[in-house]
Amino acid sequence: MPTDTFQSNPLRDGLNLRSIPDPCSLVIFGATGDLTHRKLVPALYNLAADGALPQAISVVGFARRDKTSEVFRKELGEATRKFSRQAVNEELWENFSNSIIYHRSEFDNPEGYASLARHLEELDAARGTRGNRLFYLAVAPDQFEVILENLRKSGLNKAATGSWARVIVEKPFGTDLPSARRLNDLVETAFDESQTYRIDHYLGKETAQNIMVMRFANAIFEAMWNSRYIDHVQITASEPLGVEGRAGYYDKSGALRDMVQNHLLQLLCLTAMEPPAGLDADSIRDEKVKVLRSLRPLAGDEVFRHVVRAQYGAGAVNGKRVAAYRDELNVNPESNTETFVALEVNVDNWRWAGVPFFIRVGKRLPKGGTEIAVQFKSVPPVLFRATGETVDDNVLVIRIQPDEGISLRMCAKMPGSSLRIEPVKMDFHYGTSFGKATPEAYERLLLDAMSGDATLFARRDEVEEAWKFIDSIHEAWRTRSNDIAVYSAGTWGPGEADQLIKRHDASWRRL
Amino acid sequence: MTFDSSGLGLPVEIGRIDKELGKLWDSSDDTKTRASLINFVIHTSELASLAIDTEIISTVAAKHACRAILIFSNPAAQAPAAQAWINAHCHQTGKGERQLCSEQITFRLDGESARALPNIVFSHLDSDLPLCLWWQGELPEPLDETLWAWVDRLIYDSAAWSNPAHQFSIVRHLSSRNGKGAVLCDLNWTRLQPWRYALASLFDHAAAFPKLAKVNSIEIDLNHGSQTSALLLLGWFACQLNWSASESDNEFIDSGGRKIAYTVLHNGNHARNVALIQCEGAEFELSHEADSDFFEAAIRIPGIVDSRQILPAPRRNTTDTLLAELSRAGRHPLYTKSLEKIFPLLGR
Repeated sequence: MPTDTFQSNPLRDGLNLRSIPDPCSLVIFGATGDLTHRKLVPALYNLAADGALPQAISVVGFARRDKTSEVFRKELGEATRKFSRQAVNEELWENFSNSIIYHRSEFDNPEGYASLARHLEELDAARGTRGNRLFYLAVAPDQFEVILENLRKSGLNKAATGSWARVIVEKPFGTDLPSARRLNDLVETAFDESQTYRIDHYLGKETAQNIMVMRFANAIFEAMWNSRYIDHVQITASEPLGVEGRAGYYDKSGALRDMVQNHLLQLLCLTAMEPPAGLDADSIRDEKVKVLRSLRPLAGDEVFRHVVRAQYGAGAVNGKRVAAYRDELNVNPESNTETFVALEVNVDNWRWAGVPFFIRVGKRLPKGGTEIAVQFKSVPPVLFRATGETVDDNVLVIRIQPDEGISLRMCAKMPGSSLRIEPVKMDFHYGTSFGKATPEAYERLLLDAMSGDATLFARRDEVEEAWKFIDSIHEAWRTRSNDIAVYSAGTWGPGEADQLIKRHDASWRRL
Repeated sequence: MTFDSSGLGLPVEIGRIDKELGKLWDSSDDTKTRASLINFVIHTSELASLAIDTEIISTVAAKHACRAILIFSNPAAQAPAAQAWINAHCHQTGKGERQLCSEQITFRLDGESARALPNIVFSHLDSDLPLCLWWQGELPEPLDETLWAWVDRLIYDSAAWSNPAHQFSIVRHLSSRNGKGAVLCDLNWTRLQPWRYALASLFDHAAAFPKLAKVNSIEIDLNHGSQTSALLLLGWFACQLNWSASESDNEFIDSGGRKIAYTVLHNGNHARNVALIQCEGAEFELSHEADSDFFEAAIRIPGIVDSRQILPAPRRNTTDTLLAELSRAGRHPLYTKSLEKIFPLLGR
């Protein structure tokens, strides 16, 4: 909840179904970077176009390059025209861009922060932003320390009574548990947990948010959401792309750290968590962290039994020849970084005892998509099975991207005088059912941060528990460097991954 | 007026509607899928509306797959007659060839047959799906309770009413069913949504919202819609700021006993719509030129703020307004509360 509700505008009451963001100044560190141009400012423009931003808002770009506010606005305008999900109305852009200001400073220059503080106070007076500040760290993690330290020293991390100061931190939240703890400690020197918003953009996706609604607003699913009816769960994130321009980062990170530690474990948490006591941020995050704490740790030889890592070799994707990972630009030719990982994860609690969660993520796979597939148990081998008919198991698929939606596979009798059973699919597509474009994840997340709603942001303990689980896998991998499998680009990963799931008498779904 | 049914689709016997619809789908190719999320019923008493309403249904179906039922009833006709037509609206989804299709059933009910309206509706609904009824024109009296009890969302447009005081009393009756009645969706209220957002945003400024406790007068001059549009906006202000109607004309009283003068103008002769709020030491003005995509918002607090800004004012025709309403789930508690504020003013 916003801290200044008591002095809020009464005309806003009941106007929106969601909480209204407070007037504020949004300060973006790393304002000349890619994230600001491709995601943040287009998201802000779309919010402005939808009338969802408070009228009193200032967007301050803080960066090292020398430029004027006019030039900065012009660059952002070009980027917004290119990356916005809706066409840019020039008049509206002109109006919105008046709230954008460029503040040039080195990140380690205390005077830059002192002048920022003065500047923000002037904006408060001129625009009515009420002393509320939202700092967005759109910079590499190695810049966090100097920025946070200077925010603290300049007093910008503290808000006046009735106002607030918050910080948004982009992933990666560390590279392992010790670095995550260091990073979190560092953030805590300037902002306490209630002021800290760790962005995992997967949580801002409409379908990820719908997992809870589907589970807890539909009696038919939740009653069967346990080990009695569910055989196993598959969570897949595949992409046909290679490392593209991220080789420098990716080669140090790998699929496990880049995707599993954050996005896929978050999806697992939403799938496996118990009903929260309420819809407030902490009730939901309490339940998610319980799932992470219930993950059966993988260490030593168990890692090699339950986790497959692999790297793509040369192959063809969408009919085009593509190079092997080790031949990509800026990748170490002897790199052992995994571009594919498949895991069997167990959630050791009452609900999920004996139900494996298979997680699979990879680059240079045949097609892109993220989904959660809940595979139900087979019906008893009587009646139809006894006749020799194949009876496929029910599968509930939650598609996170693209073509967001839900489908349910069930069996039906084929028309005719003989008994023939065929699987059929009930399909729900967000796009066709609700007929409106789903907003970009960053739009939702920016609004939430301005409104003080941390539900869709990762809490410190979630991040650290996730790293604890991931670190023990990496620890085991370090003891053997030669176990990395190779798969041809354009295939669904190595045979070892198929073997992993076959042990459970199952197979990976075809997306 | 001659009746042209050519745009309504295939004429069918009322008793064979389901079978004929089945045939329609059997004969279509594999790229077409029938879909339905709501029962969308339009009732009109204007023969000329059938073609326009069919166009509206086609647009609505692209966003909200539905079973659409369009009913023209003419109880004044001498001879009883009931006719039906079926039609499908298909829209391409995504980039492929796949099309989602919604069905439309159109009825013309003359004379005595018009009394069969509830039965016609009930027997052609897609089961288990919500029923949205758009009743065009004046709401009928007496109300057929069996019909209204089935309606989940009742859509109407108070801007089109000739006797708002009487019609609002019918609406009030429908809404007083212990929260079990239909959700009331007044397109006149939906049309004003951009005004409410823009007016609220005038007072986001830290120096502005305290002025809401010191309003001296409010003047609303809307040339679009009707006088009820301006009254609804005024009712919203009164509701949000806890004002009650004073016994004297054109005056509200706030919770502290302070008097607020109001003026509601409805002048269709000029192209500018304005809401002007005069407060102690401040003035707020929101204006909108006809055919503009923007509001102009002016805040004048001497010595503190003197600003002019533009805010989005999405242009909405009836179909857009209807789509906005259908996209919004849930009740409209602000509407029903605002109505209570303007009831005392309606008879003045």
